[in-house]
Amino acid sequence: MSEKSSLSRLVHKAEQLIERGIDKRVRIAVTGLSGAGKTAFITSFMNQLLHIADNDQLPFLRAAKEGRVLASKVSSYDELHIPEFKYRQSLDSIIGSTPSWPASTTGISQAQLNVRYIIKNEWLQKLQKQSHLTIDIIDYPGEWLLDLPLLRLSYKEWSVQCLQLLEQSHVAEDSDWREQSTKVIYQQPLADESIAELSLQYKDFIKEHFIQQQTYNLLQPGRFILPGELQGAPVLDFFPVLDIDILNSDWSALAEDSLIKTLEKRFNYYKQQIVQPFFKEYFEKVDRQILLVDCLEVLNGGYQNFRDMQFTLVELLKSFHYGQSNWLKRMFNPSIDKLLIAATKADHVPPEQHRALEGFLQNMLQEAKNDIQYEGIELETMAISAIKVTEAVIAEHQGQKLMCVKGIELDSGEEVINYPGRIQPQALSRDAWREHQYDFINFAIPTNLTNGILPHIRMDKVMQFLIGDKFR
Amino acid sequence: MKDKPVKIRTKTANVQVEKVSANVFEEHNGQSLEVGRSKAGGALSSTAGPKMLNSKPKKGLRKLFWPALFTFVAGAAAYESYLFIDSLFAFNTVLGVAATAVAGLAVISGGAGLIKGWLSRRKLRSRKEKQQAFGLLIEENTYGEGQQLIDEVNTEIGQYLDLSGPLSTYRGQKQQVHNDRELIQLYSQTVLEGLDSMALEAITKHATESAVMVALSPLAAADMALVAWRSSKMLQEVSRIYGCPQTTLGRIGLTKQVMTNMMLAGASDMLADAGTELLGKGLAATVSTKVAQGIGVGLLIARMGIQTMKLCRPVEFTDDNRPKLSYIRKSLYNRLTTLLKKSEPSKGATITKGEQDDRD
Repeated sequence: MSEKSSLSRLVHKAEQLIERGIDKRVRIAVTGLSGAGKTAFITSFMNQLLHIADNDQLPFLRAAKEGRVLASKVSSYDELHIPEFKYRQSLDSIIGSTPSWPASTTGISQAQLNVRYIIKNEWLQKLQKQSHLTIDIIDYPGEWLLDLPLLRLSYKEWSVQCLQLLEQSHVAEDSDWREQSTKVIYQQPLADESIAELSLQYKDFIKEHFIQQQTYNLLQPGRFILPGELQGAPVLDFFPVLDIDILNSDWSALAEDSLIKTLEKRFNYYKQQIVQPFFKEYFEKVDRQILLVDCLEVLNGGYQNFRDMQFTLVELLKSFHYGQSNWLKRMFNPSIDKLLIAATKADHVPPEQHRALEGFLQNMLQEAKNDIQYEGIELETMAISAIKVTEAVIAEHQGQKLMCVKGIELDSGEEVINYPGRIQPQALSRDAWREHQYDFINFAIPTNLTNGILPHIRMDKVMQFLIGDKFR
Repeated sequence: MKDKPVKIRTKTANVQVEKVSANVFEEHNGQSLEVGRSKAGGALSSTAGPKMLNSKPKKGLRKLFWPALFTFVAGAAAYESYLFIDSLFAFNTVLGVAATAVAGLAVISGGAGLIKGWLSRRKLRSRKEKQQAFGLLIEENTYGEGQQLIDEVNTEIGQYLDLSGPLSTYRGQKQQVHNDRELIQLYSQTVLEGLDSMALEAITKHATESAVMVALSPLAAADMALVAWRSSKMLQEVSRIYGCPQTTLGRIGLTKQVMTNMMLAGASDMLADAGTELLGKGLAATVSTKVAQGIGVGLLIARMGIQTMKLCRPVEFTDDNRPKLSYIRKSLYNRLTTLLKKSEPSKGATITKGEQDDRD
């Protein structure tokens, strides 16, 4: 009897070993600036997968189409110190009695899904019929992403960049911070309270700049906007030097307690102790990445807005660690091998213009795209919508038939038929931008969404690209 | 300016709204298509490379040989039959009338066959044009033009098959936001892939049948006739599945194309299959030369079938759904070896069975 049970235990153990060997794990980083729709995307992604068994709206997810994906569930993950992604909560806000877009993220969170599927590979099938795929998805405030480019800069270089950006953007020069910052003597020590006060003014300044211009390029460091648990810590008390003479001078001879050295020390501490560990922990293990971009905001904003967004995104993409991952390399140095750049809110655009939207996005990120493709990364651009809230209609306007979108306007709560203007897929000059007018409006979630599967645009293609190859 | 954004509040304004459907796209998208085409022409595309001006060298007098010979023979035959019938009339009127009737029938049925063959060849040609049209839509990724083409194909296939099941799946999964590339992909994977498996089944059936027949037939000369007969039957069936059935005369055209394609594609196919085929030959050799011949013939027919599928399928195959010879080969081996095992439970057959297991 005991022999038999030990034998069965052995068999069980062998089975477990095989299962672990075949099992797959994929970690997806959902990146995007705040307002790009990360939370809605993750909610929809999980929603589609959790309803996979009876979801016939995923024709382009090949494994699901073949009926090989059986079921999935939310599981608990190993990184216990990270809060869980509030899937239920954001789904409830979408399908609730007064539907609203899920609230913007203020801290990091993670979700893990386990998907059970039938193995297709003939050889693996001999070992085992089914296997499961573990999908980790990470959500975090988009503002923190802006810290990524800082990692490559020294305090001096960062200050120079800030100076250049300020000169380009023609912001009101007469802010408190700029006035104050010219008065202090950088070579002398300064009391901590004064530094804190100046840095507070700097934070107000970049916040105001953001509200005025709706651009992200000066919103650094990201924790200044959303400090998270670091509220009030001295590490967040620093600001760039804008004096061109000081920037051109040699700093090595300065005293250790001079203001400039203090600021530099804090900047470096912030970089090394806050930013680096954060990205190391959450992004180094990532193998698939999706970058969500809200192109509509950019199109509404005009040329300067376009240039700013382009600068920010290109800088961002430079900071990620791309490279083909063969299994040997993966064990020691994992990196992203697939990147999807998606234009979100495609449902706000008439469907005939989706191709133009994709073209516009490709054009905007041409520079970064080229670099990434050089590394051998599989890269794709798509126009997607995580939750589809509009309907395409053709309306007649002044004797012309226009393809429009119909939905409920977010601001007024009224039903609106919107023709937003024609998106140009090719690169435009500053003058050409002026000739095109856009009016993309924000739509609200209709009340007719049911408890079941969320309507979407091309989420199945997104899934096929990000995880489709794992269902082998 | 044409492209100013427009916002209409449905509450206050009375607007005519149409649901987006296939018909509306056509008139609406007329101009955008032209823009797209002209742009594609200007852009760097695959057609930018150098091109042969005249694909076929001039043949001159040689070109006239076959028509001239044909006219001469036909004329001579007509003249001879006229003389023959005339002489019969001189001999006996009833006999003459009967001969005329028979000759007339021959001419009429022959003519009808010719016309039918010509029609079926035209169908094949239009199928090829559709393939190209679909390819263009996929490449340019336009919006709202694919549905019309898909409907055309549907009616063509619908004459021979009941498509209501897969078509309802297709319509259920189709969204108004899908562009042409997605629409065609969707159609290909919901409707056409069903046809593919049907065609593969038919090919497997014919290939195994002829393999078995050749393996069992005692006469070498009969093999050739067998192959010709079975392969022509198979071409007919496969082309019927895809909605462009080929008649006896038309099949000659199809066979010719299939053969040309096989010669062209053969090299790459062979490379891809070399590994497994070598294994297969080892197996076949151990069985017997006759069975080996059968397998060879079966594989030939399977290959012809797959080429026929490629010619007849309205949307060209992609890497995901390309039919594989290995699939047919497997069932071919299985059928033949089980047959052999049944007919003579000898040592040789058991060895084969063992090897078969090893291969799997």
